[in-house]
Amino acid sequence: MVFNTIGFFEFLAVVLALFYTSPLRLRRYVLLFASYYFYGSWNAKFIVLLLTLTVIDYTAGIWIPRFAPGPKRKAVLILSLVANLGFLGFFKYYNFLASNLAVLAGKPDNAFYLNIVLPLGISFHTFQSISYVVDVYRGEQEPVRDPIDYALYICFFPQLVAGPIVRARNFFHDLFHWTAPAVDDLSRGIFMIGLGLVKKMAFADQFAKVANSYFGHVAERQGWLPAWSGALAFGLQIYFDFAGYTDIAIGVAKLFGFHFPPNFRRPYLAASITDFWRRWHISLSSWLRDYLYIPLGGNRGSQLATYRNLMLTMLLGGLWHGASWNFMIWGGYHGALLSVERSLPGRQKADDISPRPSWSAQSLSYPFRALLTFLLVLVGWVFFRAANLTESVAVLRQMFHGHKGLPLLEPWHMGLALGSLAVALFEEKLDWFERLMDAPVLVRAAALGCMLFCLVVFGVIDTAIPFVYFQF
Amino acid sequence: MQPAFDESTVTAGTGRWRRFSSALSLLMLGILAAFCLDGLIFRIGPYPKFLEPDSAAGEFELILQREKEAQAQYGDNLVATLGDSRLGYYPRVSAQISGRTGIMLRNAGMAGTNARVWYYMMRDLDPTARRYRAVVIGISDYDDEDGYFDDADNLADLHYLIARLRLSDIPEFAASYRTAAARFEVFRGALFKGLTYQTDLLQFLSHPRKRIDYVKLARSGYPVWTWDYVDSKRNLVGLQIDWATLKVTDPPDADAVQRDSVRSFLAHPAVRQTGNLAAYRREWYGKIIDRYRGSRTKIIFIRLPRGAIPRPANLVHKLSSSVRELASRPNVIIDDEHAFESLEHPELFKDGLHLNDEGDTRFSILMSEEVSRLLIQAGALRKPRPDGL
Repeated sequence: MVFNTIGFFEFLAVVLALFYTSPLRLRRYVLLFASYYFYGSWNAKFIVLLLTLTVIDYTAGIWIPRFAPGPKRKAVLILSLVANLGFLGFFKYYNFLASNLAVLAGKPDNAFYLNIVLPLGISFHTFQSISYVVDVYRGEQEPVRDPIDYALYICFFPQLVAGPIVRARNFFHDLFHWTAPAVDDLSRGIFMIGLGLVKKMAFADQFAKVANSYFGHVAERQGWLPAWSGALAFGLQIYFDFAGYTDIAIGVAKLFGFHFPPNFRRPYLAASITDFWRRWHISLSSWLRDYLYIPLGGNRGSQLATYRNLMLTMLLGGLWHGASWNFMIWGGYHGALLSVERSLPGRQKADDISPRPSWSAQSLSYPFRALLTFLLVLVGWVFFRAANLTESVAVLRQMFHGHKGLPLLEPWHMGLALGSLAVALFEEKLDWFERLMDAPVLVRAAALGCMLFCLVVFGVIDTAIPFVYFQF
Repeated sequence: MQPAFDESTVTAGTGRWRRFSSALSLLMLGILAAFCLDGLIFRIGPYPKFLEPDSAAGEFELILQREKEAQAQYGDNLVATLGDSRLGYYPRVSAQISGRTGIMLRNAGMAGTNARVWYYMMRDLDPTARRYRAVVIGISDYDDEDGYFDDADNLADLHYLIARLRLSDIPEFAASYRTAAARFEVFRGALFKGLTYQTDLLQFLSHPRKRIDYVKLARSGYPVWTWDYVDSKRNLVGLQIDWATLKVTDPPDADAVQRDSVRSFLAHPAVRQTGNLAAYRREWYGKIIDRYRGSRTKIIFIRLPRGAIPRPANLVHKLSSSVRELASRPNVIIDDEHAFESLEHPELFKDGLHLNDEGDTRFSILMSEEVSRLLIQAGALRKPRPDGL
């Protein structure tokens, strides 16, 4: 059941009706059952895995506070981490490790191969579980006593398969202080769902066609124009795809009275790679910061240690996306860019390099810095999208050394891209979404109508193209 | 830590329904706004005038426009023909002998179309249902043989007709599809026309100037291009089919299109007979006939030349003959099914089922004479004088 299908909206309508017509004490059961049904609609077998991890981490959360700080307490934490990372490692990384070991041992790369199906959303719910247990261990989160509440935190269907990675404190705050959503919340929820569908079906899926046609036939599409077209199309596809998913997830959660944090903040307007990571997949980057970068020492040590921590964090962040050298290189590439940025003289905080409506040198240079950042990010996406390292190198060679070739993007694609850039700039400067939410109902309806019309004329309706992040 | 959804902390449910009705109103108003915007551009706006001339909808509109103009040019002896690509004839050849036939054949059919599309074509081409002496419907078989595809579920019809479909047509048009999935898709695409125009619109947005120029060119040139059209001179001499084994011996110089058309449309095994085609024909031919009930216009069914080597009748046990049933209605004439069998030879076909230049020419003459004869016989046409006056 994918968000951009009629089946999902039928499911949502039923769950909403059941939720709001049920007595209060039964509502979490409605959500829990609906979430397991939602997950089971892909592969019911993996509900067992989800339940196993839920039981382990729930128990860890209960046990940790029973021990005073010391080895026993730490042992419970380690047991939980081993279980979470063990499952994740086995399902996601076993074949990658096995093929590399086989090659090192001089055997065929599939010598130790196992036919493993990756459970949907495992990377997301594992990170969510880890954050809960670590927060309990750190004393930053009170353990949840009721297993139903904890199970709901892990499997709540809007965020189960592709995030955002919701922190326990935020989720339980909403759960334990639940208030029926106000008209404004419902209105926002509807808008977020509409916006998400437009991002996914009208933008991401249209750019996906171009990206797939390029990356599916790299050898036949020679030249720098097709290579940059392909990279640009994928850059736009992945943003609109993931941001669209997140918007729908946030919107759906709002309809149930839950508030997820934003996951994207116009990342392609970033003026530096540091700024980019504060705007892109915010729930993952903040997770990596809080549970990896800072525990590694963050920027508290020497310059060299900071670079090491950045590289390690980004390499593991890359690996989190998928078990391949390409994702490692993508992570390493961003780690290296972040390190280079840190080393530059006159480096400023991201807040200072955000665009500002003034005529300062900082503001005047913003378009150039934003463009450079965007181009650097696009180069990185080549590793993310290409099938393997050889193909990545072939694409990069075409981007920088190929002859001209023919562009793959039609003028209307460029119109879509420029239109979305204008909307993003408008939002960045004028906060149009908030203004719209305060506008009279007819204005909001007109805006919603424009979004739906955009879906009518640009949306890829007949084929439900899967969300990119479902594979992670 | 307090329990989830605790009665003491949860905001009371007062106004719950009001909240939801406000949100639902917003959603409904949003959908209405999208519908209005869609209608403004695609329903009452100028967009249908700029359709790609080579698209299904674009060519349909060109044919409609051409035939409307022809109504103004010609007198009282117009006969409209309806059919798909197998209705291969030259209206100019028919015009050359109109002195002796007393009629002028005009082709309102279109490649790839079928009865549902023809109904809407005639509705908009002949709103008063009185302009034509006859409407000739060319079909390949009077018996109902179900094929691989169910015409009732042909989504292409939506694309041919999208510029013609009115809001009031939507329920009937969508309901005429057999499967729920097709009904939904057609309903959605007819209600929000932008969905159906999407590919056309995106191409238009890419090169608007080029499109506008091409549309202008096509609008002025289409009547002449189609009038002067000369078909391929290729033929299938040498084609043999063993009907017992369905083994085909192709002509020595046959190309892929010729080989494929013979296998797909002639030498194919029978499929399960469902009665779907009969139901479809009864519905849509019935509608065409109903439109002309009480009118001077006769509805004439003719059996087209069936192929380079026609399929033997005993290959399939056909369950019904809806056309013969419809022929019992007033104003309906059914032609002798053997009338054009003389054309069913490989040398007159460019592929398995389409006549070539020579075939088109001969068929134009034969069909004109046959339709004229039928109309005279029915008292709907005065016998032309031998001097053609």
